[in-house]
Amino acid sequence: MRFVAFAFKNLFRRPVRTGLTVLAIALAVAVAVSLIGFNIGYRRSIDTSIDKLGFQVMIMAKGCPYEAATMMLKGGTGLVYLPASTYDQVRSDPDISAITPIFVGVAEKEASGISGESGSSFAIISGIEVQSFIDMKPWMTMSEGAGYKGGRWFGDDSTGEVVLGFEVAEYEQRKVGDAYFVTITPYGQVEPVMTELKVVGVLERTGTQDDGTVFMPIKEARRLFNRPSELTIVGFKLKNFSGLALRQFEQRWAKLPEVQVVGLQQVKTTLVSLVETAQTMIASVAVVAIIVAVIGVINSILMSVFERTGEIGIMKAIGATRSDIFQIIWLETMAICLGGGVAGVLLALSGTSLVEKAIQSLIDFGTKGTMVAITPEVMLVALLGSAVAGCFAGLYPAWRAASMRPVEAIREGE
Amino acid sequence: MNNKNPGSDKAIVVARGLKKHYRRGIETIKALDGVDLEIHAGEMVSILGPSGSGKTTLINLLSCLDAPDAGELQIDGRSVAGLAEEDLVKVRQGILGYVFQKFHLLPTLTVAENVELPLMFLQRPVDREKTLGVLRMVDLENRAGHLPRELSGGQMQRVAIARALIADSKLIIADEPTGNLDKGNGEAVFALFRRLVLEKNLAIIVTTHNLALGALADRVITLEDGRIIDERVNRLV
Ligand SMILES: Nc1ncnc2c1ncn2[C@@H]1O[C@H](COP(=O)(O)OP(=O)(O)O)[C@@H](O)[C@H]1O
Ligand SMILES: [Mg+2]
Repeated sequence: MRFVAFAFKNLFRRPVRTGLTVLAIALAVAVAVSLIGFNIGYRRSIDTSIDKLGFQVMIMAKGCPYEAATMMLKGGTGLVYLPASTYDQVRSDPDISAITPIFVGVAEKEASGISGESGSSFAIISGIEVQSFIDMKPWMTMSEGAGYKGGRWFGDDSTGEVVLGFEVAEYEQRKVGDAYFVTITPYGQVEPVMTELKVVGVLERTGTQDDGTVFMPIKEARRLFNRPSELTIVGFKLKNFSGLALRQFEQRWAKLPEVQVVGLQQVKTTLVSLVETAQTMIASVAVVAIIVAVIGVINSILMSVFERTGEIGIMKAIGATRSDIFQIIWLETMAICLGGGVAGVLLALSGTSLVEKAIQSLIDFGTKGTMVAITPEVMLVALLGSAVAGCFAGLYPAWRAASMRPVEAIREGE
Repeated sequence: MNNKNPGSDKAIVVARGLKKHYRRGIETIKALDGVDLEIHAGEMVSILGPSGSGKTTLINLLSCLDAPDAGELQIDGRSVAGLAEEDLVKVRQGILGYVFQKFHLLPTLTVAENVELPLMFLQRPVDREKTLGVLRMVDLENRAGHLPRELSGGQMQRVAIARALIADSKLIIADEPTGNLDKGNGEAVFALFRRLVLEKNLAIIVTTHNLALGALADRVITLEDGRIIDERVNRLV
């Protein structure tokens, strides 16, 4: 420890070289940290999004589970419908503890009213059966914010009433009591039909896809879309959920045509593995960057050791032992690596959103919003990792320096 | 350990039959070929000789930077022949101060920090008052905070001498300390050595190929081809 200040001074002798070496380490660490942070954050966000679906299992039309998953999480196009009878059949299953049918449709939403923009966008309409739906999602509450007071759910048989997700209401600037226009092309028809509905409630923010959804009674949704006896998803909970219970349930209902049973655990795995491909790619880049940076450190320290051959000889001549010299060079390496580690973590913290965009542009991963989670643990691991890298990178140069014979070192230094 | 020679109880260096041979291809160079030497506290010895006569080789052995191939060597009563590098360091530490031809100050450290450097390796506390005292001895007290590049050659060499003094060394070994200095600065260094011998009862061994400077020592030893060919004692006042 008595050499710390001395080692630092040595590093500042060649500030550009030291700076570049630190920068290389910093970049490598930043990539690694962002990547780990993204990994953690992404899993977390998938977990909450899926947990907030409220059900563990869903039945939907056959297709790839990934489509199924993204559709549930983001709301999707290319919807495939099931016969409504599926719900009636499945609900009798003895293992089910709660069940709710959902009809999802996409409406063209002609911008109207206050905003006055032209052009159109889409609105995701969820037709639901109120009681069973809110039983699944007990955390859903009506917002009591300004203009949202007195919000309520619609009745299952009511018509012309909608409840808006928080973001829909905010984006469309709709309050409770306002009109809400949707334009839907009914199934089998060509001309879209515009319908005026009334906002009877606005939901509190949930941080999930529900925030961007327009809810209406399932009967009304079926009528507007002209699919009177169809639905999109049946979501349910099993009494004793386990992999085994799910497989047994699946076997029981395999007889239903064109239907798949999807466990949400399975969806999580699918989504995570989907992103893992992109992550593996970036991770290998990070590993290469770290190796290159460490080689750079070894190289730079070795160079400085050779440059200081004479000096090292002098230090030995005036009383430095092998281990003193070893410690000095080793500390210099450690300082570079730790400095790079700290800079890398800071870089990652400040560059998180960029990294996120980069990953997002590589792959559409099913959820949205910020999710790179650079937790204290990740930072700690990064710093420890840099320290360990420093320990190893310093061994060879420090050994070379310590092994210099004073006489020869002084002679060469002359 | 007590190997003191009778009649030389104050001898700080005792060398008997020192040999150092180098092999260059098939040729063997006898850089040192049997050197006997005794140096006492309060004595300044200069080693003269042409280039290649073995002065540096002898200095390196006496300062325990290198080990002899044959012969006996005692530093301050300790026999050092056959010791490994790690043990030689221990002998050097605190007894021996080394001064080089090229000064070899560390460029990032101030004058005072350079002087204190040996204390870091000896794990002794730094005492700035003492550092300034040593710098006063070499007449550089007012340069304590300067960097080496701000000094002249003669000043740098005096800093190097202060560095050799800081750990209360009994023996100062200097290899061509005036080799890079002009006449005036060279004489100043030798005058300083004389003063240190008188005031602090140090033993000083200094090599030079300048006869006039060499003659300023108590004893002048002349080397040629690794052997002592002449040894004379000066009557200095
Ligand atoms: N490491 C070495 N390898 C081979 N020969 C050496 C080595 N060191 C010194 N010598 C040779 O030993 C002789 C004495 O050298 P040295 O002690 O440096 O002389 P001086 O210091 O008097 O000029 C020279 O011939 C020199 O070439
Ligand atoms: Mg020489």
